Amino acid sequence: MKKSAVGSVFALLLISAVVLPVFLSSYQWPGTARDHLELKGVEESGATNLVSAIYLGYRAYDTLGETIVLLVAVTGTIGILKKAGAVIEDRHSFALPGEMRRANYMRTHLLEAVTSKLGPIVLLFGFYVMLYGHLSPGGGFQGGVVVASGIVFLALGSSGNASSALIRQDILGRIEAVAFLMLLILSISGIFTGEGFLDNPLKHYSSLPAAFIIVLNIIIGLKVGAGIGVMCIIMLGKE
Amino acid sequence: MSPEGLAFAPVLLPLLGAAIVFLAKAFFRGRGAVIVEYTGVFTGLYLPWLALIFLFPVVINGSAVTGVIGHWNSGVGISYRFDGLAWMVNVLGYTLGGAAWLHSLSSGPKGPSFSAIFLIQTAALGATIMTADLFNLFVSLEVLGISSYILVSSSEKPGAALASFSYLMVSSTAMVFFLLGLFGLYRITGSLSYEGIAAGLGHLDGNALATAVISLSLLVGAIAIRVAVMPLYGWLPDAHALAPHAVSAVLSGVLIKTPLFALSRILILFPIGKEAGQLMSYAGAATALLAVIIALSQKDVKRLLAYHSISQIGYIVCTWGAAVAVGIGTKAGTLLMAAAFLHALFHAVFKGLLFLSIGSSVDAAGERDVYKLRGAVSILKRSGDKAAIAFFGFLVGALSISAIPPFNGFTSKTAMTYLLKYYGQYGSVLYWILTIAGAGTAASFIKLSRIYWPDKEKISTVFPERTDSGPVLPGVIAIIFLSVLCILGGIFTPLIFKTVTALLSGKSLTMGDGYSFFSTGNLLKSLYTAGAGALVFLLATGNAGSALLKKVRERPRSFQGLFVSYALAAAAMAGWLLYHAAP
Repeated sequence: MKKSAVGSVFALLLISAVVLPVFLSSYQWPGTARDHLELKGVEESGATNLVSAIYLGYRAYDTLGETIVLLVAVTGTIGILKKAGAVIEDRHSFALPGEMRRANYMRTHLLEAVTSKLGPIVLLFGFYVMLYGHLSPGGGFQGGVVVASGIVFLALGSSGNASSALIRQDILGRIEAVAFLMLLILSISGIFTGEGFLDNPLKHYSSLPAAFIIVLNIIIGLKVGAGIGVMCIIMLGKE
Repeated sequence: MSPEGLAFAPVLLPLLGAAIVFLAKAFFRGRGAVIVEYTGVFTGLYLPWLALIFLFPVVINGSAVTGVIGHWNSGVGISYRFDGLAWMVNVLGYTLGGAAWLHSLSSGPKGPSFSAIFLIQTAALGATIMTADLFNLFVSLEVLGISSYILVSSSEKPGAALASFSYLMVSSTAMVFFLLGLFGLYRITGSLSYEGIAAGLGHLDGNALATAVISLSLLVGAIAIRVAVMPLYGWLPDAHALAPHAVSAVLSGVLIKTPLFALSRILILFPIGKEAGQLMSYAGAATALLAVIIALSQKDVKRLLAYHSISQIGYIVCTWGAAVAVGIGTKAGTLLMAAAFLHALFHAVFKGLLFLSIGSSVDAAGERDVYKLRGAVSILKRSGDKAAIAFFGFLVGALSISAIPPFNGFTSKTAMTYLLKYYGQYGSVLYWILTIAGAGTAASFIKLSRIYWPDKEKISTVFPERTDSGPVLPGVIAIIFLSVLCILGGIFTPLIFKTVTALLSGKSLTMGDGYSFFSTGNLLKSLYTAGAGALVFLLATGNAGSALLKKVRERPRSFQGLFVSYALAAAAMAGWLLYHAAP
């Protein structure tokens, strides 16, 4: 035990000594990329929010990769969850004797009332974040996660009977699959319209320069929302 | 279709295939789901061959498809480069990927989730090798990583989840340092594309030069973990041994080599990159020898194979490093790089074959201990593999890896050792280290072949019936396919070698005037090595030998130890480079 602690401390010190000069460098930041983005970013991409311009414009290919990382992570988690099953040892609950139920014994009427009322509002906010990503902070990933929270709220507030199709695993799985296919088709379509891979295929069809970014934001948002939503619903366990 | 569209086909078709497989999972049930799933797999794993065929004339004369994705300004967009190297690594990936997926129909795991993630992994391989942008390389490696963690954990074996978790922890730790190195380079050059970084490195003063060197060593260290070079190999044996057989084959055959070849694109940007290659070359030789000793000590058949993957990657890293050290653009560099790639390709084929055939055999027997399992041939016959194809597959693979002519391992190992001796620094030392490692390899496969020996001593346990009732045929087809490739690869090596050099440099080169792989000297050397291997095997089975090997097998291993070795390796690389960079 002691020996391993010494080893760890030694390794940490050593690696810090190696890494430190990278941070202490007094070399002047080169500014070409920054200047280009500042001067030409909005004009080239059509997105006022430069973050969107970067992650869905200049570096959309990286974003495609990160979307896939999330997709694989969610698929893998669901696989492991289904294999392992959920075992909760702690039987502690805030539920009053009258509202206690066998499954989902930790839920209360209060929780259900609040989450079921909040759910639609959170969903709406999620779509707002998704749709306005090119103008203000936000975008597909952020909006998608908010949508997923809305879905979790709806599921928590459903009190046993599925009040919304949005909390059904199969429906969410379908939304996710279709959104992923759409994302790929959109990325590839440029090759066939003569623009090239991940180049804006809507260039000639839309007067809105940010149209491609908006569409990508919506699709990524749907995919992320459905993926994380379905994972959370599986984690909540069966009704 | 434009060359640009074609160049992305090896990345996009598997992704499209994965999307189709997800559709199968979400919308279809029963027979329909299977048909749609297979359509997706066909689109993703077999259709890209069409694109590769069309791309061959584009890259064969040494030219490349390059550009910026989305046609942005090259300073801010993502650059890519599809050249001969990318083409070859894709061929490697699709050859083994196609065979391994076929085998998974027999040996599992089945189902759309597995197929989809398998396809995504294949796509990530293509993306890793064709990127010319440092951050995009990071993203590609992340996709590659996460799909492999999931695939490893998809095995039903106990411990697979833990192995996958330790793989994840190690890889993620390495990627943190990769990101730091990336940051360092971006900090001083203001660019993420390889071209931009090379341009930025041109005018740096002393202070920034140190940052560049340290950043480079962080990048190299992180990739060395992925490649499992000594001493950074600790995560690999568990992950490769416990993964499903098809996944093991791809992990060992393709996954650990792709980052290595991607790294050569980075190293050529740096004036100091040659020195980094030199150190990697020495580390590779050490890896080849040490890993084979550990392999010889293993009990579990797949763990033994996993250590051989480390050993064989050592050969590749050694030759690859020597190529980088003499300069990839030079004739010697091209020859060495071609030999390294040749072995990477041949290793993928024979190691894939070994994992699949051994996997079929141990599945049929329900026993993985090399000391307990005997008579696997008759077990195979009982399990439905009537002609014991898996045994013949093992035989071809074992003869290949032990460098017995005319199988493919013989020619690629001959090419590597010959060229190292001729062109490499301390070449004759490297030559002997690799030759001794070759004897160890032969010994180790004599040991492994014992599982097929008749069960005279009746030490085998009672075997359970085959529980996993997948059809035997796809697995057998995969094994036959790879076996044939092993033999064809060996016979047509001169032609393949010429093509590889042409893909690398635009000019086709040969090993040397009048050089013959099947010369008497080379054949005799192979005979001596095999003889030495038999001797080592006898020594290892003796009392003193087995006591020593037991110690090697039971040496303590920990995540913490791995982290310490990472710190040491990164510091050693940084120190070595700073020492050589000093004016």
